[in-house]
Amino acid sequence: MTTQNKTIAGLLASVFKASVPPARVALHEPAATGDGAATADEFGLPRFTESELKPEKVDMTTVLHPDGRMSQYPPPEKWDDWVEWDGKQWPRRVARRYTLVPTVCFNCESACGLLAYVDRETLDIKKFEGNPKHPGSRGRNCAKGPATINQIYDPERILYPLKRVGKRGEGRWKRITWDEALNEIAEKMRASRQKRRDGIMYHVGRPGEDGFTNRCIQSWGVDGHNSHTNICSAGARAGYTFWSGFDRPSPDYANARVTLLISSHLETGHYFNPHAQRIMEGMQKGAKLITFDPRLSNTAAKSHVWLPTWPGSEAVVLLAIANYLIQNDRYDKDFVRRWVNWRETLAFFKEKPYADVAFDFPLEGPLKKLGERISEKLGEKIGDKIRTLLADFVFDKAQDEEAFDVYDRLLKTLYAEFTFERAAEEAQVPVERIREAAEYVADCQGRLATHTWRSASIGNLGGWQVARTLFFLNVLTGSVGTKGGTSGNSWNKFVPKPFDTPPAFNAWNELHLPHEWPLAFYEMSFLLPHFLEEGRGEIDVYFTRVYNPMWINPDGFMWLKALKDEEKMKFHVALTPTWNESAWFADYVLPMGHSGERHDLMSQETHAGQWIAFRQPVRRVAMERLGKKVRFTYEANPGEVWEENEFWLDVSARMDPDGSLGIRKHFESPYRPGEIINVDEYYRWIFENSVPGLPEVAAKEGLTPLEYMRKYACFEVVTDNYVPYEKAIDAKGAEVDEQGRIVKDGAVVGVMVDGKPRVGFTTPSRRLEFFSPTLRDWGWPEKEYTLPWPLKSHVHPDNIDRANDEMLLLPNFRLPTLIHTRSANAKWLYELSHKNPIWMHPSDGKRLGVDSGDLVRVETKIGYFVDKVWITEGIKPGVIAMSHHLGRWRLEESSGVNQGASNLVRLGEDGKGGHTLNVLHGAKAWKSFDPDTSRIWWEDVGVHQNLTHAVHPDPISGAHCWLQKAYKVIKAPPGDRHGDVYVDTTRSMEAYREWVAMTRSAIDHSPDGLRRPHWLKRPLKPVKEAYKLPKKPFGR
Amino acid sequence: MNYGFVINNDTCIGCHACSTACKSENEVPLGVQRTWVKSVETGVYPNVSRNFQVTRCNHCANPPCVRICPVTAMYQRDDGIVEFDPDVCIGCKACLQACPYDAIYVDPEAGTIAKCHYCAHRVDVGLEPACVIVCPEHAIIAGDLDDPASEISHVLASNKVTVRKPEQGTAPKLFYIGGADVAMHPTAVERTPTTFAWADVLPLHGDGDGKHDEPMISLPVVKKSSDSGTPIRAPQTQGMPASGPIMIGDRRMADQMVQVVYNAQHKIPWHWPVPAYLVTKGIGAGLFMLLSLGLGFGLFGFDAPSFVMGGFLSLLFMVITTGLLVYDLEKPERFLRIVFRPQWKSWLVRGAFLLIGFSTLAGLWWVLEAGAFFGLLPETLAGAVRPAALWIGLPLALGSAVYTAFLFGQAEGRDLWQSALLPLHLIIQALMAGAAMLLLMDVFMDLPAAMAHVTFITFAAMLILDLLVTLMGEFGMPHASETAAQAAHLISHGPYKNHFWLWSIIAGHLVPLALLFAGSATVFGLAGLLSIVGLYFYEYAFVMAPQEVPNS
Repeated sequence: MTTQNKTIAGLLASVFKASVPPARVALHEPAATGDGAATADEFGLPRFTESELKPEKVDMTTVLHPDGRMSQYPPPEKWDDWVEWDGKQWPRRVARRYTLVPTVCFNCESACGLLAYVDRETLDIKKFEGNPKHPGSRGRNCAKGPATINQIYDPERILYPLKRVGKRGEGRWKRITWDEALNEIAEKMRASRQKRRDGIMYHVGRPGEDGFTNRCIQSWGVDGHNSHTNICSAGARAGYTFWSGFDRPSPDYANARVTLLISSHLETGHYFNPHAQRIMEGMQKGAKLITFDPRLSNTAAKSHVWLPTWPGSEAVVLLAIANYLIQNDRYDKDFVRRWVNWRETLAFFKEKPYADVAFDFPLEGPLKKLGERISEKLGEKIGDKIRTLLADFVFDKAQDEEAFDVYDRLLKTLYAEFTFERAAEEAQVPVERIREAAEYVADCQGRLATHTWRSASIGNLGGWQVARTLFFLNVLTGSVGTKGGTSGNSWNKFVPKPFDTPPAFNAWNELHLPHEWPLAFYEMSFLLPHFLEEGRGEIDVYFTRVYNPMWINPDGFMWLKALKDEEKMKFHVALTPTWNESAWFADYVLPMGHSGERHDLMSQETHAGQWIAFRQPVRRVAMERLGKKVRFTYEANPGEVWEENEFWLDVSARMDPDGSLGIRKHFESPYRPGEIINVDEYYRWIFENSVPGLPEVAAKEGLTPLEYMRKYACFEVVTDNYVPYEKAIDAKGAEVDEQGRIVKDGAVVGVMVDGKPRVGFTTPSRRLEFFSPTLRDWGWPEKEYTLPWPLKSHVHPDNIDRANDEMLLLPNFRLPTLIHTRSANAKWLYELSHKNPIWMHPSDGKRLGVDSGDLVRVETKIGYFVDKVWITEGIKPGVIAMSHHLGRWRLEESSGVNQGASNLVRLGEDGKGGHTLNVLHGAKAWKSFDPDTSRIWWEDVGVHQNLTHAVHPDPISGAHCWLQKAYKVIKAPPGDRHGDVYVDTTRSMEAYREWVAMTRSAIDHSPDGLRRPHWLKRPLKPVKEAYKLPKKPFGR
Repeated sequence: MNYGFVINNDTCIGCHACSTACKSENEVPLGVQRTWVKSVETGVYPNVSRNFQVTRCNHCANPPCVRICPVTAMYQRDDGIVEFDPDVCIGCKACLQACPYDAIYVDPEAGTIAKCHYCAHRVDVGLEPACVIVCPEHAIIAGDLDDPASEISHVLASNKVTVRKPEQGTAPKLFYIGGADVAMHPTAVERTPTTFAWADVLPLHGDGDGKHDEPMISLPVVKKSSDSGTPIRAPQTQGMPASGPIMIGDRRMADQMVQVVYNAQHKIPWHWPVPAYLVTKGIGAGLFMLLSLGLGFGLFGFDAPSFVMGGFLSLLFMVITTGLLVYDLEKPERFLRIVFRPQWKSWLVRGAFLLIGFSTLAGLWWVLEAGAFFGLLPETLAGAVRPAALWIGLPLALGSAVYTAFLFGQAEGRDLWQSALLPLHLIIQALMAGAAMLLLMDVFMDLPAAMAHVTFITFAAMLILDLLVTLMGEFGMPHASETAAQAAHLISHGPYKNHFWLWSIIAGHLVPLALLFAGSATVFGLAGLLSIVGLYFYEYAFVMAPQEVPNS
């Protein structure tokens, strides 16, 4: 109520108005217009009862942080029955009585601890705070943790299983029972599995769990796992893997002397809150922060050195720093000598194609003198001959420290070209900043924490080399797995084994990993519609899970086409807590819980230690604590919202009712032979058998391991985990091969280092692979690929003609306040950030004649979009940037995506490949049981730019290279409206083919007749038999 | 016990965990914030920085919001927490004007004021505030400033800290480490930019009224040449630097950027009812004062019809005044609390009692006069009471006219209102408006000649005086603070310039002055009417403009 809008009538009304609490009203009726439309049930604002009890003063749980700070939380012994004053009613002393149930946040990948306050009477949830016992998040959260409550009481959530009636995408649904859904879906799965082993596809966006679903898929015996990795982390994973065998970094920020970040990890990092705590902790102890980012992120703003590098130039700058360390002998030679595969490197360097490297190694040192003497005595010709022989000898027999000098010379020769000046020119940054950064790195004393995940490594063609050149600095400074250095994720992540592991399947789904990308990390997920278009296959049963492929992937109109095609995409089941653009085109929409409504087990490599965290359906746990029996989680959740764990157990069992497919046995309880396992038993077995130390710690408290995890929801398995690769192994009875690897029973288990058997790394050589034999063997022998080396990005300045209105679009940065693209159901987050204007430098704004708020049209390879600009000095000239989160849309006014968070749009098609999206209006206030929905005050909810992105599959990592060349950025012509999108899908396929042409297929390059190097990871690995190259490869 | 905050802007990463944790803990509705992270970016690429500032109630040691609250709905606890009680609040919004930090808002659900209450409900059972425990960086430290062993005392002792607007004399107990001028000084950036980086801007004048917020004015720097030919800059207006108080370059954008990336905004709390009340109150009090003074000093004799009518109008306008005051409350049904649970330091309370005293006395007197006039009561009674009633009523009327100056003086958030001229100005305005009303009466009922003459003289004199004081207020002495200067500038050159020049100065002063030469009662009446209309427009500008100047 504002003063201005008051009327006398309103005044009178307010005088006489009784303060009636908002009643529970009918939930939104889904777009169900068909038969048996979903009936509304009682779901509304949470209700809380006033307790007779009063809060008591107790000793709170104090979380002591390593730097001496502390914070206070309710002590776990009081969690069962906790009374506190209501903050909204204050200073009226209204006591609320809760049971506090710990769970795990699901609003990013970090798996931070949450503590749910569940009313003991109404079982409604009051709030989510931090779990002080969680080793990763240590009681703290970001903006997204508390906002979980918004998602739980979202007026637009889906409460019941829905089945499509009418055509796909028509928006007509009917409510069905879980029993119907399970039977119908299981039957389709069974039919597909009986026919083939590549017909079922589980396509996951945010997994939010470790291994549960993958075990189920494995049990079905199909190659059924598809992920979102190739639009996220494929580049970084490839770069890290080729070095070390692990595919992501685990920096020990808290103890670093220098933290070097490619992009904005301090405010949006991969493990944002746990990492942000530790980065700042390190900085408070004096660590220097260096950030590469063309955009002034919050992280950049907090950095000691901000390097606004031109996207794609990162590797050059990193190598300039590396070169500084190498030329000045300021690198950790002992570490490099012990752990890098430099002997292999030297051996390869005498062969083609490296002959072009001007490298005078044999003439160095005593050999040089010897060669000169021979020449003197025997003449030049013979001298040359003998010199060459001696060189070979050095290469082959290099065994001692002196031979390492040869490698040192090689490094000095190879990298000499990477001067600060060259880097400054390519990156377009001040040279003194690079020098400053290099000085810091040189002084790091083995405590260099580095991180690259999405930004540059997923942005550029060849972006995987960013991770490789970045980790090169860790190798050179000896900051690998050290205190304050950078570890591998696998060292700090703990995934316990379940009660049963089904055997690997014998199948290869051509839609996942086709022969063109033998080195991809992982499935070529974003190309699925292009593969379907080309006729590479079809899908019997397609599950999407916390995944909105049409929205998040590039080239969304190709996805729209695929999702609508009932011939190729025969059956689509969307597992989702909320509506999304793709679920609208599903056959079944199955509501799955948010965090606090489901079971999952998670671990993340947040620091130098290992922990597991147990996500729990908090209302179910509360009910059980209060003595109520719950069979399935949907009995405790709002409506009939379920959880995947129980869904997969049930649907898998139903898929094979008689056990004839060999699936059912993997779902039989280890405690009740012959009966299907339940979720309690599943985790009970893990906690009793697979988590070292947990049973003992639980017993000390008089609890079973499961009870312990239900109480605390987390357990620290290992602390202070440093340099695990140095671990000595028992080499008795083992052989040492010519590469120094320790082979036991036919398997490589370690490596000899300075005569001692060590466990080493998980690369083929068991060392850090500066030179990658894998890349050489699989068709990429040039040094640009086999060594840490820059590759020319598709958005290199040479390819962007700014004078011709071309620019570089950076479309994939994150905000700390949003849940990727899934924030629409969190009103507090949308209130803070709801739009994604184009960041533009004033010089570019001036050139185009636009100021903040003006409309601009951005043309890509395949179409264009129209958005407003935000003029700021905090962006590199020539680069425009847009947050990747916003621009959600819906097709019907009152259904689909949340009305306060999405545009109402109209889709159009010209039948010749031309597609349009036009915004009818933005966010609007609307009436629901939540009075806040009538207070929506913002209108702009962003622009869906991804639709206009051409696909850019990197020929090696398979990553979608997100950076887009903006072919034209102009002031929007008259008639353009904010949010307009146009795409020509015939151009989409052209762009796709251009990039496919850059690949080097396994058919032509596989050294061993396999589709993919067997040592490289896959989320689910089939048997080796399945790796054989296909007899009839597609396109041959 | 003395609770306070230290907020470390150096470790804050602008993640807004505190913002949503607070919303969750205290169930804060959409559209309003108890705590937020103001974010300001400055510089020129590639030398750019972004500053974060967690912004909220300062829990001042000397809180002006507590002093102005008429009903002790806002109070300072013994442990230093400034807390509020929505069950008591009448929604007068005076505290919003008193707070120089934009910490207080009107809760759209409850219709009462709210702000950060230090999570007192948590602190009382030993838990830290919700924002403190959520912050990933421990950038927010809460604790007892009196306890030398507390973490907050240690941090305070070993860091350089600053507070927002210490010059307001509020003694804030929220100390910033790494406070940046561009974020600390609200006038360093536009209050109403066209957009924030990822958020729309909130319409400050309420929702859906179609009125757009006008941007703050940026003055061009006038360049000149010195005698020797050196290009020099002309001196700027005192208190009104060309590019805002923190000037880096000639312009804010492009050459050197200082722009706000995110800020919470506060809707303007007082609108037309407040200036309207100032006018009606002026008429009511001024009429009575004129009758009282004229009769008391023998400038004119008693004339029953004029006095009954004048008294009636005075009372009528006092009734309208009361109506406007009640109407402007967010909780009008609670207006009697001002009387029944007064907080005597508040000029809202003092003023209310002056208004009540004046209205009661004037009412009683008028009942006797009107009773006598209509033959219901003996004339002797009225005649006996009259001198005393008018003499006693005079100071009450004067108080009613002038108290608003002291109420506005308590509004630490609106420097322009804290003008030493204001009491004088209000008296002049009351006499002018009262005289204008008598002139209007004269059109319809022929006042006695002496009374009409005195009225004419008073009106003319007050009109001229008011013009002088008005211009003096705007352009006389330079304003003591930049916010006052900015507000004055908005009146004379900004969105209120028509209110000021066209309506107040021309239509409300110069035209009436010209009309006074006409010599007809009707034209004099028109002059009076115009001066009242002009007065409303002036008051509107005077009330609104300072509210446009940002406090956070």
